[in-house]
Amino acid sequence: MENPILELCEVTKRFGGVIAVNRCSLSLAPGRIYGLIGPNGSGKTTLFNCITGLEAREEGEIRFKGELIDGLKPHQVARRGIGRTFQVIRIFPELTALENLLVVTWFPFDLALRRARELLELVTLDRLQNEYAGNLSYGQQKLLEFARVLMIDPELVLLDEPAAGVNRTLLNELLQAIRNLRAQGKTIFIVEHDMKVIMDLSEKIFVLNYGEKIAEGLPETIQTDERVMEAYFGR
Amino acid sequence: MKGLGWGTVLLILAGLAIMPFFVTNYIVTFAIQIFMWIALAQSWNLISGLTGYVSFGHVAFFGTGAYTAAILISKAGWHWFPASLMGSVTAPLLAFIIGYPCLRLKGPYFAIAMLGLNEVLRALVSYFEDFTGGGNGISLPPIAELQPVYYAMGGVALGVVLVTWRILTSRFGLRLISIREDELAAEAMGINTARLKLYAFLLSAAFPGIAGGFFAWYSSHIEPLGTFPFLTTITMIIMCLFGGKGTVLGPVLGASILSIFQELVWARFLFIHQAIFGALIVAVVLLMPKGILGVLQERYHLPRTI
Repeated sequence: MENPILELCEVTKRFGGVIAVNRCSLSLAPGRIYGLIGPNGSGKTTLFNCITGLEAREEGEIRFKGELIDGLKPHQVARRGIGRTFQVIRIFPELTALENLLVVTWFPFDLALRRARELLELVTLDRLQNEYAGNLSYGQQKLLEFARVLMIDPELVLLDEPAAGVNRTLLNELLQAIRNLRAQGKTIFIVEHDMKVIMDLSEKIFVLNYGEKIAEGLPETIQTDERVMEAYFGR
Repeated sequence: MKGLGWGTVLLILAGLAIMPFFVTNYIVTFAIQIFMWIALAQSWNLISGLTGYVSFGHVAFFGTGAYTAAILISKAGWHWFPASLMGSVTAPLLAFIIGYPCLRLKGPYFAIAMLGLNEVLRALVSYFEDFTGGGNGISLPPIAELQPVYYAMGGVALGVVLVTWRILTSRFGLRLISIREDELAAEAMGINTARLKLYAFLLSAAFPGIAGGFFAWYSSHIEPLGTFPFLTTITMIIMCLFGGKGTVLGPVLGASILSIFQELVWARFLFIHQAIFGALIVAVVLLMPKGILGVLQERYHLPRTI
């Protein structure tokens, strides 16, 4: 296997007596789309938080392009090339759609403006560029958050439930945008509850249950894995 | 429209520049107070209006500037103008010392830490009698004419307004607002929020530092209770909220309107003017939580950068 872009080794995160992520190891090769699934409360978002520095892992190692990123602050992780969206939308409501993108980049202003407009066009929000983000619909805010993470030009994009609340028309455009990212060589790691979306997009899927990785493999393998069936539907 | 706006601003500035030659000393004195409140409310706006970190001890920087100037004038024989400007060094220095650890605190913890800073400073100033005059304070020679202080305080007010405008029209300003809107998301997008908050805090301390120096010279006497009153912080907060936090002209409007209102009410209702002032504030917070300018911006789709 080629050098992984992201490597987690025995990562553990506890909240008091609750083990949110338990000795989780996984490896992502560059330029692919990976899925992360699991029942509610299985530790998917916590794992994303550990990778991006929003939560400090207690044990284990997290490496990005071979470099340890444990203990880095979130902005340092982002500057190294890991961008993310959130399960619950976290846009800047009192900034316009355009400003939401301009604020996160260090490109010279003209270049940033051009790139921001291109990204807004990509997510079909170009006509709403001067609208305050707080006035956009839920689905539009989701798309704006997606465009914002692309604005920092990350090599690894973590998407936490990108399809939730997005209507079918916009969803198809979003999925196409994700595939385009892969074509550009980006690595994408997606948490998603919509099984059709995750099975269609992902080249490999990891499954968490009670913080533990219980399976990994191709989508068709995961769909028939007994441990996964048990985690989702019980015995 | 844009040209008209700038023309109006220049006209007002020209009017203010020649005003002291045509009005009484009472009006000049009142204008100095308004300038001071504009500088203080706008400085508070720089940290609290833009980043959302509410400072309940901003008068500490004003007091630091006042004591810096008073000590330099009375003990080192400095001219009042450079002595006052030194407040822009000492107040940010204090802001750096307190801001570096405290800006990591979120929400009410930062506000309480700032409140504590003010009380500690007041106690220290009272304690070191040899240096600060203790509870008796420091007396300075009475000023011969008001005009120099008028222009100096006006310059501070104008300076902080221009700095705020420059910040709000830059990506630095957008980043400060992103901290207010969602600090965690800003961090996750690569924004070094700790550093930006500190920069904003240092800037927000510099102007009260200078204004405090001019105030000390203009008052001819400073003492701990009158220089570090909690009420001063509350007043600058109210003025900023009344006009519109996070805007350029909001604190200017808030400071001007409330100063005039207070002056009118104080003269007519000596015993209940504070109650009337308080009632007005409650009404504004309930009816216009975004302040005057916030309402105007929403209703007429005015840009945020005014």
